[in-house]
Order: sequence, then C-alpha cells, then structure tokens
Amino acid sequence: MASRSGSLPRYIVQRVLLIIPMVWILLTMVFLLMRVAPGDPVSASVGGRLTEAAMDERRASLGLDRPLLTQYFEYLGGILRLDLGQTISDNRPIIDIVKENGGATLTLTVAALLIALVVGIPAGLIAGRFRDTTGDVGIRMFGILTYAAPVFFTGILVQLLVAEYGGDWPTSSASSPITEFTVQSRTNILLVDAMLMGDWSAVLEVLQYLLLPALTLGLLICGIFIRLTRVNVLQTLQGDYVEAARARGIKESKVVRSHAFRNALVPVVTVIGLQVALLLSGAVLTEKTFNWPGIGSELIDYIELRDYAAVQGIITVFALVVILISLLIDIINALIDPRVRY
Amino acid sequence: MVSRRLLAVAGAGVLAASLAACGGGDSGSGGGGDAAGGGAPWVLGTTDTVTSLDPAGSYDLGSSTLQYQMYQQLLTIPAGSNTPEGDAAESCSYDDPTTFTCKLRPGLTFSNGNELTSSDVKFTFERNLNIADPNGASVLLASVDSIETPDDQTVTFNLNKPDTTFQFVVTHASAGSIVDEETYPADALVANEEAVGSGPFVMAEYQDGNQASLEKSESYKGPREAKSSQVFVKYYKEPSALKLAAENGEVQVAWRSLSPTDIKDLQGSDSVEVIEGAGSEIRYFVWQLGTNMGKEKAVRQAVAEVIDREAIAQRAYDGTVDPLYSIVPPGFPGQVDAFQDVYGQNSVSEARGMLQQGGIQTPVNLTLGYTPSHYGPNAVDEATELKRQLDASGLFNVTLKSAEWTQYQDLYKQNAYDLFQLGWFPDFLDADNYLAPFFVDGGFYENNYSNQQVNQLVAKEQGSNKDATREKTFQQLQQIVAEDVPVVPSWVGKNTAVVAPGMQGVEETLDPAFIFRMWTVSNEG
Repeated sequence: MASRSGSLPRYIVQRVLLIIPMVWILLTMVFLLMRVAPGDPVSASVGGRLTEAAMDERRASLGLDRPLLTQYFEYLGGILRLDLGQTISDNRPIIDIVKENGGATLTLTVAALLIALVVGIPAGLIAGRFRDTTGDVGIRMFGILTYAAPVFFTGILVQLLVAEYGGDWPTSSASSPITEFTVQSRTNILLVDAMLMGDWSAVLEVLQYLLLPALTLGLLICGIFIRLTRVNVLQTLQGDYVEAARARGIKESKVVRSHAFRNALVPVVTVIGLQVALLLSGAVLTEKTFNWPGIGSELIDYIELRDYAAVQGIITVFALVVILISLLIDIINALIDPRVRY
Repeated sequence: MVSRRLLAVAGAGVLAASLAACGGGDSGSGGGGDAAGGGAPWVLGTTDTVTSLDPAGSYDLGSSTLQYQMYQQLLTIPAGSNTPEGDAAESCSYDDPTTFTCKLRPGLTFSNGNELTSSDVKFTFERNLNIADPNGASVLLASVDSIETPDDQTVTFNLNKPDTTFQFVVTHASAGSIVDEETYPADALVANEEAVGSGPFVMAEYQDGNQASLEKSESYKGPREAKSSQVFVKYYKEPSALKLAAENGEVQVAWRSLSPTDIKDLQGSDSVEVIEGAGSEIRYFVWQLGTNMGKEKAVRQAVAEVIDREAIAQRAYDGTVDPLYSIVPPGFPGQVDAFQDVYGQNSVSEARGMLQQGGIQTPVNLTLGYTPSHYGPNAVDEATELKRQLDASGLFNVTLKSAEWTQYQDLYKQNAYDLFQLGWFPDFLDADNYLAPFFVDGGFYENNYSNQQVNQLVAKEQGSNKDATREKTFQQLQQIVAEDVPVVPSWVGKNTAVVAPGMQGVEETLDPAFIFRMWTVSNEG
C-alpha cells in the first residue's frame, strides 16, 4: 500500500513549490553578482568620454544611485508582475529580446539536439555492440574529444575549415540579409516563417546557414549520448533477459536490436532533458562565434555593457526554461518509475 | 545535389515540426518588400552596435552610422572636407559669437510626407535637451540657451557662451539629426520601428543586433542623393566572423572593425580590396599628475623623448596605424606635430639629460596601466612595446598593470598608474574636440593637470569665429601640451574598409569624419 507522501499529485505539487525558492535564490544571486562586479552601465558605455560629474548625472537619471535594497525590491516586484522591464543600454523591452531572438536560439538548440541524437545514439550503440574493437575505441575517443573540446574552439575550427575548403558555404549568421528581408516574420523563427511562405529556396538557405553552428553545438552534446548509450548497451547485453532470449535460440541480431538496444535507450530519453542547461550554455558561445542572432549572443553583449536589467531579464528567462524542463522530466520520471516519488 | 536538397527539405520538415508549436506571435516585421529603382543592393558588414535609431537616445558610432542615412542634419561634412556644408539648411552662419542662424531649404519633407520646417528643428534640439537620455548626446548641446523660429524657414540658436564649435555640433547625427515633431514625442524616445527622418535613405526594416535594410528615399532634398536603391547593414559580433564574411562575399563592404592582423591578411587576398583613408581615432598615454612620478615634469618629458611611435605602430599594430606627434591628428586646421618639434627624434641621451636636470634618480620606477577589454587585444601589445622601449633606455623600470575597463576608469582616477592608456574618437571634426575635453582643469580623465594659460586659450578659440585666430590658438595649445606633457600621443588610426570587386565610392567616404556615406556608394559588380 502506497503512503500519502508517495502520491503523484503530491509529488508534483512539492516539485512546483520548490521552484519558488529556486527562482528567488537565482534572481537574488544574479542581482547581487551584477552589482558586485566593478563598473556600471554608465561607465561601460560613456566612460572615457565624460567627466565623473556628468556620469553621476546619468547614473542618477537611471536610478542607479538609489539604495540597493530599493533597486532589489523593484526588480523582484517587476518579476512578480511578469514585467522584465527594458534594457538600460538601448531602451529595448526585454520581452522583445526574448520574442525576437528566442526563435533563433530555439532553432539552434533543437537542431543541435537532433544532430547530437542522430550522431550520438547510433555511434553509442555500435560502440557498445562491438566492445573493445577498433571501432569502439575510435568512437569513444571521438566522444571524449567532442565533449572535452570547448565549443568556441570547435566553432572557430569548423569556420576556418569551411572557409578554406567549403567553397561558398556560409560561415556565420542565420541567413543572407536579402532572405531575412524578404521572409515575412510571423513566428520569429526564420526557418518556420520561410516554410509558411512556401519559399523553399529560403528554407534551403536557412538550413545551409544552420548547419555549422548546429553541428558545433551538437557535437558538444553528442559525446554524452555516445558514452551513455554505450554503457547502457553493455549493461543490457549482460542482462538476464538478453541471456534468456539467446537461450531460446533467437537470432543474435534480433536479440541485440529488440532487447538490448531498445532497453538501452530508456535512460537516454531522460538524459535528453537534462542536457537543456548544457545546450543553452553552449548556445551562448556558439551564437557568439557564428554571429547567430539568438538570446545568448545578446546576453554576452549586455554583460559587457553592464546592462543590469537586460542580464537579469535574460538569465531569468534561461533559468525558467531550465527549471520548467527539469520539472517536466521529473514528472515523466515519476510517471515511468514510481520509486522516485518515495 | 538533388538528393542533398531533398535531405535538406526533409530535415527542415522534422525541424519545423519541432519548432512550429513553439513559435511566438506575429511581430509584423519583415515585409517581403521589393527594392525600388535600379542598382544592385549591397551589404555593409560591421561589428559596431546600435543603441537607438532615435537621435536623442544614442551617442555611439553604430547608431550614428544609420542615423546619418535616415536623417538630415542642418549641416553635413562632405567627403574629404573639414568644412560643414548645407544639408537641410541652405546656409548657416554666426550673426555674432553667441548667435547661430540657419535658413532651411524650401520644400523639405520627412519620408512619411510631413513637412520639415524650422519648428521641427527647434523641437529636435529642445527635445534632445529635455529628454537628456543617459545614452544620448545632449551633453554636446550644453551651449544652447534658447532657440527661435522667426519663420518656417529660419531657425536661430542663442548660445550661452561664444561657441564656434556649434557649427560642427549640428553636423553630428546624435546631436543634430532633425526629427518630425508630429511623430516623435517631446519627452520620450521612439521605438526603433517608428523612427522616421528626411535623409537620403528610409529604414525599411530593422532587427536589433542583426541587420538593417535601407531603401533610397524619393523625397530627400539635399546634396546627399543616394546612388543605391537598397543597402543592407549586417551586424557581426566578432571581427573574425566579419573577416570571413568579407572573404566569402557575404558582405560587399566590411567597415569597422577588423583587427590589424586581419587587415594585414586581407591585404594579400585576391577576392577583396583593402582601402585606407585618413582617420581621426587616436590612442594616447595620460600622465596622472597626482602620483609621485607623474607630477615630475622632467619624467614626463623624458618619456616623451624616449617613446618610439613608429615602432609601436609597426610592432603592435602591423603598420595599420600612423604615429601621432600631437594630440590633434593631422588634417585638422591648426594641427602641428608639436611633439616632434619639441623632442625631435627619440633620444635616450637627451632624456637622460632631462632627468639629470630635474634631479631625478634613475632608473625611474613607473607603473603603466592599460585595459585589455575596451581598446582591443592590441592594447596589450602597445603597452608592452612602450614598456620595452622605456626599460631598454635604462632610464626607467616599468611595471605593467591592467584592469577590466569599468574598473580601470576608477583606478586611473585614484592614482593607481603613473601613466595610463586611453583612446579618443572625435565628436566632431574640429581640433577643439581634441583639446577642450582633455586639458581644461584635468580633463574628463581627471589627471590633475591644470594650466590657466591653457584654459584661457581654449576659451579664446571657442569664442572666435576667425579661422586664422583659431588655428593660431590651436597651435599654441599643442605647443604648451608638448612642453607640459600631460599626455603622450601614440598613434592615429586609419579609416579602413574591405570591399568586394565592383564597389564604387567607398574610397571617397573614408575620411577623418568617420561618416560612412552610403549615399556615395554603389555596387557595379
């Protein structure tokens, strides 16, 4: 008989309630870290041009001279009202940054995830199936290398190689300026907008532009899938049910395909969700390297400008995405495996 | 090839299925517009960023570059010249040193069809001062006392002090771009998508941080008629990406800012041409007179005697910059190479004599500050090269110290460095802009330098509308600076662009004004 504490609804409520302190701690950390860092938006943008008195005037007009606690509660109040505010450095509503640049980040991360799955899972399966062969060693080395190589390094390397040997293949941006101009924006996702317009040459072009950044980010993640899939295949191949299948005289290829591989993929599915945080952090650097117009590259620019409001807003959005996906994974896990609720 | 396309389309289907459900609302941007008129569109690539398309909300080169295309100013700096000429104004002149009057061209209209009158001009300047946006350039309008509009075509600025530089201020995109009083609120900035002007181009589409699309304005009246029907501006986050885009032909013009190494590399490329014009961006070292060594004039002069600017230009910047021998770069009326006049060729023995005469014991311990995060990676090379030169003289023992930009600004004011590196980009093309902000009572960098004669000479040149008087005063000021050495000029940059074959008119616009005049450029390739 299950105890009350083990019920699924109660588990979900507990997990949802945990989000509140998590988000609050995160917002407070971001707020404090931005203030602890030397400088402010005024000195970052017009320092080295104006006198200290002129800069103080600008700080006052932005409200940066007010007590820290006042600024903190104003910030929290804005978040509670679902108002992320607007950037200090270019007066842009932060929600607009999320809407206008979020589509590009989403495109990049989804494409990278697809590449990671398409490359990582088959490679992991092969490595596990043919353990300790040359192929296994090669795949393992490939997995370690792609995971260990910094994403910006891989990105620059890919760019240089393609620039040298790739003919006219584009090395940066999300499309040519003319395509971005002609494709009417409906969803803020260029690829989807091009498809909705039925402009297939634009679709092809956008995919061309997408390939290098998605490959770079995808390679970073695929190392994890390779290792995880391989280990799971090794474990399942030694499982009792696999031995039993073999004992029943089922062909080895069918045993591997239907019993070992299928079961080996179950943990991989749950790990996909956990890679979101890594994908987003990798996207920040990938976007910067490939001039990809996503939220991540905007975040770096705003950090350099010490734009408190923008950085706080964008990180809040990133954090909420990661937290909500983690919650979703936890719920799915609880549904699949009741043991996690206890 | 067919199979590759099929694969791509299939992939797009999978991807789109994943993405479509997550799409945002209808932004309404874009437009599928067709470029009006003839001439091939072209793309300008840049690493500059844009703060705002509203002139009252920006004070940076990236914003100004677009504003120059979209808006008219009363006066404009024509290519290759230092002298303002009429743009929205037929003519402007000083009635006396504190009264500046402009007569507008007849029949001016904004691209939305509204008339441009003197009332719009008055509104523009008063609005900029009223908003005083923290990111804006209202500081440049400090000398405006009041504005009168006797009729629809005439506007008179009453200045609160004699200010000859005001004729240059009105050429500045952020300070002087004329906005429509029927569209722009008096007390708030407009959103970028609502920005409208009367310049040679109309903003057809703008995506923050990504790209801008400009189309030739059919209603523009003035000397800046556009030669191209459509121009795109593509924004790059990294110079390396911009370089690759130029090499690949993704942009037809790459302007600001490629690294010296990239420029050197592209000079050997067959696919693009590197064009260089005179620049106005400078780097210099500031003495902090609040430190024990900085206050010693003999030490300052000895460093000015030892520094080898040619070696800095070659070793730290691959020869992509020119040595600078005055705080005012060459090409400005009244400019003289004062440091060369005073110190001649760099000489260790002369420097030793200066230190001995000043009673300074050698080697002199100096702390040299620089920031790696604001002036590019070559700032480190420059500081290192200067240290090498000073140490090699045997007269100095230099310690290098660096700090991140925002922290650096506090440190140099707090006497953390005897000597520190800074850069300057002029607001307007007048020698005053290299002198007044620097040397009047310690300047904006607060280095404790104060010289009453300098203060008086600055006031004199600002109050005079006689070119000869001003030029002579500029020369005197540069001479005093070379003798007092509150700063040591290092180099002046070039205005460099990388262009694809067939691009015309780029060379024309590469001058010290640093206005990229897209209206002069056409794609004939």
